[in-house]
Amino acid sequence: MDIATLDHICALSKLNFTEDEQKEMLGQMTDIIGLMDTIKDYDITYDDTKDHNEIGYGDLRKDIPAPSFPTEKLQQNTTPRDNCYVVPKMME
Amino acid sequence: MDLKNITAAKLRKMLDSREISAAEAASEFLSEIKKNDGKVLSFITVTEDEAMKNAEAAQKRIDAGNAAPLTGIPLALKDNLCTDGIRTTCSSKMLGDFVPPYDATAVEKLKAQDYTLLGKVSMDEFAMGGSTQTSAFAKTKNPYDTECVPGGSSGGSAAAVSAGFCTAALGSDTGGSIRQPSSFCGVTGLKPTYGRVSRYGLVAFASSLDQIGPIARSAEDCGLILNAIAGADPHDATSKDVPFTDFNEKIGKSVSGMKIAIPKEFYGDAVDEEVRASVMNAAHEYEKMGAQLVDCSISTLKYAVQAYYLISSAEAASNLSRYDGIKYGLRGEGHSFDEMIRDSRNRGFGAEVKRRILLGNYALSSGYYDAYYRKALALKQQIIAEYNAVFDKADVILTPTAPSVAYKIGVQDNDPVKMYTADICTVTVNIAGLPAINTTCGYNAAGMPIGMSIVGKRFDEATIIQTADAFERTFTPVRCTL
Repeated sequence: MDIATLDHICALSKLNFTEDEQKEMLGQMTDIIGLMDTIKDYDITYDDTKDHNEIGYGDLRKDIPAPSFPTEKLQQNTTPRDNCYVVPKMME
Repeated sequence: MDLKNITAAKLRKMLDSREISAAEAASEFLSEIKKNDGKVLSFITVTEDEAMKNAEAAQKRIDAGNAAPLTGIPLALKDNLCTDGIRTTCSSKMLGDFVPPYDATAVEKLKAQDYTLLGKVSMDEFAMGGSTQTSAFAKTKNPYDTECVPGGSSGGSAAAVSAGFCTAALGSDTGGSIRQPSSFCGVTGLKPTYGRVSRYGLVAFASSLDQIGPIARSAEDCGLILNAIAGADPHDATSKDVPFTDFNEKIGKSVSGMKIAIPKEFYGDAVDEEVRASVMNAAHEYEKMGAQLVDCSISTLKYAVQAYYLISSAEAASNLSRYDGIKYGLRGEGHSFDEMIRDSRNRGFGAEVKRRILLGNYALSSGYYDAYYRKALALKQQIIAEYNAVFDKADVILTPTAPSVAYKIGVQDNDPVKMYTADICTVTVNIAGLPAINTTCGYNAAGMPIGMSIVGKRFDEATIIQTADAFERTFTPVRCTL
């Protein structure tokens, strides 16, 4: 993995690293990708027609509206203003 | 009264015969936690008031003569199971102050039996790790040797049971997180079939692999707890409505005639000699009981760790994208929306969680998706096919649970590849969605526990509980002393 790829993946992941952290992470990610690369040796193709046949998934329940949690309970883990979640300005 | 080594089944009898009250049982365990958890660091939150309230309600039910199997039984919960009104941290700074507005379905089902909640126990951050050393709050130690790790990610659950701080605990298992710490701490841990227990309220790591299960002192206790928490749930579309009556229904029945598969790849050089020998000794014990050993092969094992880390990290990257500091979780600072989210995630997540998010997004990104993620899905299909072939000629599969016994704290720090490859014995079970149980089969020269895993057919937990119980009846465990 090179710095440009790491930067790209960090942007996708919404993560930042300092220069020292980036250096350490680059080394570790290179080792991890090296391990993952070994699966390229295995000659096998994914058959999406078979997917989910082996592991059973329950039927989806009907989408019936029902009472939800009280608003104040859902907002107990943040500091709401006028019953709204507060975020920095998104558009100038 | 010393309850440190008591099983839930035995405590049930004591409670029902009024030999002990629910409040006395709760107090006994709370006092043990106060006295000795400073050495082990298994608990993040001790819920003393809640425990005594639970015990009071349980006693009323016992006195009314309608106790359920877990009424008044003191349990601990892994700190990734949502508990209404009780802090649930996932051992992450990101959720350090998070108080869920609802209970996980598994917790709700325990409450329906009037269990006693002693507290929330530590784990690897967001269940990512095999040592409980990535916890931001309690880096748990192994009760057999406090210089060693307890395993992970359910290390707090396994250590608390092993140390005698609770009768049993719930954990979660995505790639071995119930079985491996159970092996390291000398207790019994059951990972149910994918879909057997609702994942609603379990903080998501890798949704196609995660499963909640019990860690206890016996296979029978695991069955008692699974009886309580299993079943389909409208809140989890992947939970499955497969009928069951009692997971302990085969306990005590002979294993004579049972076919036990021994996959050769699990007994190679990657596994310590003492571990191999101990598991093979157990296999020969089963032979003495009349079981038949069957040679078999899971040839994809050499690619299993890679497939597991690609699938689980891809799912983790997606699941953890919800942590932006807005509705809940650590809130960072920043002048723009993007700056605020990045600061929240930088400060909230630890190094291992960041590595998994990076790996997941790498595997899913344009140009890499086919080479990594799709290939891992192909391997998953191959692994499932290989297990199906083995189960055509065997009832259960016997493997070591981990390549080694518990190792010294710090040995795997900053070496993620070493940490990942240590999961070799457990990950295929999650990939194939199968049930498996760890039980102790011996001790190494230093006295550290060695665990073996019995893997079963999908939704056949009763047979693996029967098989583990049959061995436990022949084996005298050496409990730890703190």
